[in-house]
Amino acid sequence: MNLAWKEMKKNKSKFFIFGLIVLLISLLTFMIAGLANGLSQDNAALIKELPDGQFYMTTEAEDNYALSRISSTQQKELLLKYPDATALSIQMGMFHNAEGNQQSVAFVTTTESDIFPKVAAGEMIVDISLKEEGFKIGDILTSNQFSGQWEIVGFSDQTKFNHAAVAFIHQEDFTEMYRTTDLQLLYLADEEVKTIDGLTMYSNKDFLNTIPSYSAEQLSLNMIIWFLVVISGMLFAIFFYMMNVQKIGLYGILKAIGVKTSTLFIMMWTQMLLISAIALSISLLLSQLFQNFAPQGMPFHLTLNTTLLFAAIFLVIGFFGATLSGLQIKKVQPLQAIQQGEI
Amino acid sequence: MSFFTIQQLEKSFTVGETNEMILKGIDLPLHKGEITALVGASGSGKSTLLTIAAGLQSASNGHIYFNEQDLTSLSQEQLRQMRAEQFGFVFQFAHLVPFLTAEEQLLLMLDVANKKKNKKDVARVLELVGMTHRKTAYPSSLSGGEKQRIAIARAIIHEPKILFADEPTASLDSKRSSEVMMLLQSLTKTLNLTTLLVTHDEEMLRYVDKTVHMRDGKILDEQLS
Repeated sequence: MNLAWKEMKKNKSKFFIFGLIVLLISLLTFMIAGLANGLSQDNAALIKELPDGQFYMTTEAEDNYALSRISSTQQKELLLKYPDATALSIQMGMFHNAEGNQQSVAFVTTTESDIFPKVAAGEMIVDISLKEEGFKIGDILTSNQFSGQWEIVGFSDQTKFNHAAVAFIHQEDFTEMYRTTDLQLLYLADEEVKTIDGLTMYSNKDFLNTIPSYSAEQLSLNMIIWFLVVISGMLFAIFFYMMNVQKIGLYGILKAIGVKTSTLFIMMWTQMLLISAIALSISLLLSQLFQNFAPQGMPFHLTLNTTLLFAAIFLVIGFFGATLSGLQIKKVQPLQAIQQGEI
Repeated sequence: MSFFTIQQLEKSFTVGETNEMILKGIDLPLHKGEITALVGASGSGKSTLLTIAAGLQSASNGHIYFNEQDLTSLSQEQLRQMRAEQFGFVFQFAHLVPFLTAEEQLLLMLDVANKKKNKKDVARVLELVGMTHRKTAYPSSLSGGEKQRIAIARAIIHEPKILFADEPTASLDSKRSSEVMMLLQSLTKTLNLTTLLVTHDEEMLRYVDKTVHMRDGKILDEQLS
């Protein structure tokens, strides 16, 4: 007889409340994780969204990409040797629109590449988040550092850097603005490690960690997420523990009439898994829906893999809590339950 | 040897540094088709004797033979299996599973005893205890007497050899107590059960075949009705 299901069917409201609590705790964790990941994405989406590969900067720059200088001669040699490579530079700056509104951006220029958007001189492709700021295709933009003007010709997705929208401009425009033909970085979208003389190599992740604001912020965000996951997981464990400990009397009587302890464990695990699976699925669905409908400007980023990982952690910790209460069930003496009076 | 025999049974508890003897060498044979009642003042050891005989706690010394098998030598798992398949229990409180209907309580017991689930048998036993009309009721909607009737039905549905009843009428009024005792008497005779019960209600002794008086962990005397 499926005791677990019978009990849930009879006590619908009680188990609905249990499920609701699990749903709310998990949703809170997913939402906070989404916001934290969103902030992280806001800081480095430009790099994070690139395929796995290698970044190179000059060794003298000592892990500070802003100090890295790859000369135009060296660029030509390297691009001849590695045709799939892209040389690029990132510089924080600002532009104005026709109404005089000022916008901070990260100007990015790259050599010919299949990975980064292509722009001609006088053109600009900006991150889609600027759409919400009122920028649109055809807008004319200017900058104090640039003698000419740009026209917005398109929007790019997931291209933020240092909490600013990225603005892709042509190398010619970049050279005029920053008065140098040197570029800071070389990127090779190739997982195979290639050593280049005079340049230090970084994986995408290692390169991100060289950005001081990113590594410090990431540490805090990771702490927030994992504290929340651990505390939520512990709440799950305590919650399932309490739920079962309350039923010790019932378990004692069932043992007295001859029900196997393993049957009681199965009953307990079934209820825990059923409640968790339903609540976590709804929570997962709600968080993914929120991701799709959240305002563009809101830093919210939650991949299905991350959510599934958290859900799996909750299931494991919940299972652990339920099993811990199962040890109490194993210890309960039928006689004790009988003598305790009506269940 | 009787069908169920208790021999030189002793039970002691250690409280602090003193060893307290609860049962002091009990000898008691139980026979098929008979109700044996254990009576005595509180602390006389009657409930302890019943729960040891039922395999719900262990003895310190002595033997309990059932079908020539010594229960005191069985493992916990063997005792559980014995309780599930051969014994029936009626407690002071009905102790029904709150989320199962009357009918499901009986089906659960059949499941536990590894007996084929047969709704006809369930219907027959419910009729035997006069509860057919309440088969879909949950314990929360049953009266005390009705609960105890369902508990009795649960105790016999799997056709046990022995029925243990610990103060089965203690939570009932006198009218319902008599009804429950009459039911136990009738079932013991009809199903040829061996019933051991504990009671403190002298009124209920008219339904039993043998009364065993206990005091200070010993049997004072045995009276046939």
